[in-house]
Amino acid sequence: MRRSMILWLGLVVLSAASLFLIKTEVQQREDQLTALHQDITRQQQAIHVLKAEWSYLNRPDRLSALIERHLDLVPINRGHLANFDALPSRPTGSTPVAPTKIVSVREQQ
Amino acid sequence: MSHLHPNTSATASGNRRHRKVSLVAGMEWAIDTSRTRLVVSAVVFALAFTVMAVRVIDVAILTGKNEPRRAQTPATALPLKTARADIVDRNGVLLATSLRTQSLYADPKYIPDAHRAAEQITQILPHLQPQQVAEKLSQASRFVWIERNLSPRQTYALNRLGIPGLNFKSGERRVYPQSALTAHVVGLSGVDDNGLSGIEKSLDPAIRSNSAPIRTSIDIRLQHIVKEELQAQIDAFEGIGGVGLVLDVNSGEIHSLVSLPDFDPNNFAAKSDDASFNRATLGVYEMGSTFKIFNTAMALESGHVNLADGYDASKPIRIARFTISDYHAKKRWLSVPEIFMYSSNIGSVKMALDVGTDIQQGFLQKLGMLDRLPLELPETGTPMLPHPWRQINTMTIAFGHGLSVTPLHLANGVASIVNGGLRYQPSLLAQPVDAKATGERVISAKTSRDMRRLLRLVVENGTGRNGNAEGYLVGGKTGTAEKSGGNGYNRKSLLSSFVAAYPLNNPQFVVLVMVDEPKGNKESFGYATGGWVAAPAVKRIISRMAPLYGILPIDEKSPEIRRDLELKLPTPKGKKRRASF
Repeated sequence: MRRSMILWLGLVVLSAASLFLIKTEVQQREDQLTALHQDITRQQQAIHVLKAEWSYLNRPDRLSALIERHLDLVPINRGHLANFDALPSRPTGSTPVAPTKIVSVREQQ
Repeated sequence: MSHLHPNTSATASGNRRHRKVSLVAGMEWAIDTSRTRLVVSAVVFALAFTVMAVRVIDVAILTGKNEPRRAQTPATALPLKTARADIVDRNGVLLATSLRTQSLYADPKYIPDAHRAAEQITQILPHLQPQQVAEKLSQASRFVWIERNLSPRQTYALNRLGIPGLNFKSGERRVYPQSALTAHVVGLSGVDDNGLSGIEKSLDPAIRSNSAPIRTSIDIRLQHIVKEELQAQIDAFEGIGGVGLVLDVNSGEIHSLVSLPDFDPNNFAAKSDDASFNRATLGVYEMGSTFKIFNTAMALESGHVNLADGYDASKPIRIARFTISDYHAKKRWLSVPEIFMYSSNIGSVKMALDVGTDIQQGFLQKLGMLDRLPLELPETGTPMLPHPWRQINTMTIAFGHGLSVTPLHLANGVASIVNGGLRYQPSLLAQPVDAKATGERVISAKTSRDMRRLLRLVVENGTGRNGNAEGYLVGGKTGTAEKSGGNGYNRKSLLSSFVAAYPLNNPQFVVLVMVDEPKGNKESFGYATGGWVAAPAVKRIISRMAPLYGILPIDEKSPEIRRDLELKLPTPKGKKRRASF
């Protein structure tokens, strides 16, 4: 009687303790999850704002003004395009040409 | 139990067996009663525990039918929800979005020192007047707006002031990152998040229900090119406005729609009526000579006229109080290709008369010129038709007067003429890549091929030479219409346009440029015609857009191209047609 009593009592205490531990653990994780979700929402909002800013900063008129000021690039035109057929075939037995100084498109024209 | 009764005789402590308890005589019934009660309550409890045990097993081990397989995550993990969906261009570039902003309000009761607070606030918001803010802060009411839609930086700075009585209310604001570039397409929405114009209005329910972003057919890069080139022509010729359109001829998708002047939708309080008027889809105009494309296509399609025919265009036509003459008069017999090339009004009128009013009306109806276009914009114009449609109207419509349509009508009609003869519904929404648009046949493939040759002829030798973007096989037609004023037509206020299709061996795009009231300048030798004003812009648009769309320049002199697109001009020796007049 007493032994089985002790056994059962032990089991009850054990299960109560484990239930308590699991419960606090779950609560903690839920808090964590909520915090994470809040963080995700905040990040999503930040991304949303950044996307709008990205689009604003990439306005074509702004980009073209910046390119004009800082780069040598010009819009592609007919003269920059050719078919493979239009290229002269490589002379046989020639060695690859050493890289030359890169000349900007603007200088070439 | 041993404590229950003093007379209970307990057994030796080592003995575990239960012993019958002896009782005071005459009290057995009490024991019986309590035993029964014990049994009953024990059974009840046992039952209750059994039920609980069964339920625990049911909950823990067995799975119910409607039970989700996984634990549900809280609703906070949902994607960001805004009051209105984003609007993007065909490549996903953001055109309109809703941003969360803070608005500053005050409860004057808690403001300790209105003047000091006003000074601090205006340091952060320099566009506000300190005096006005101080007045607001010392009002008797409990709620005053100070400033709406603050930037995150301003919000932070204001919060740092730590003035009691200042509070923020978060709301949403519609933002148009591309500013004025797509003003007439996207439109704008008001402070209450309701669409006021453009796609914002026409697709308001879809935008509100906020599913996926709305993907328009506009290409922002092309939109920029068209706007820039159109603006350049308006500036050079001192025009009061203009229209630029680029249309995919094989689907009806509008890749660019520009109407100038435009407005910044982020600051719509400042826009004028003229700027908010969409000339491309709402304005109806007598298009002038560009209508000869339809007139010629109609004549060829009807079978009454073929490319070898011609008409006497030596004398102006007089009817009622009108005189119809030629702008580029040749004063001789002209073949059908020449009539088109030199844009002869006389020849066109004679062609239309040969075909007749009924066929003309039916043809224009089929092309969609007589009805309002079903477009994803609330700003669509209804064509203005002659009523009744007399012979004189047939004559004027032959060269583009007496029937007013929107520039989009014209561009879409030209697309149907050059693409092989199929009419597509113009659309501002991007079509899925695998979708095959279904068109309605308007003219035969043969007439379409003939028309492509004629259009090429205009650009190679006729009035549209300034629109020849070399290598891209451009074909087009110029138009210079006199705007009708109070009484009759005004020779000084013109509507100069050029509508082109390219590459003509496999048409892909129609480009239309129209400038409203251009004035001739020194470079154009005083001319303000479509060939001088609009054609150069079309040429530059095509040469700039073709590389973007991967359209390679081709050798225009190659034998295949010449065979497909060249046209031998018939001579008067040919089958001469009697003049109807």
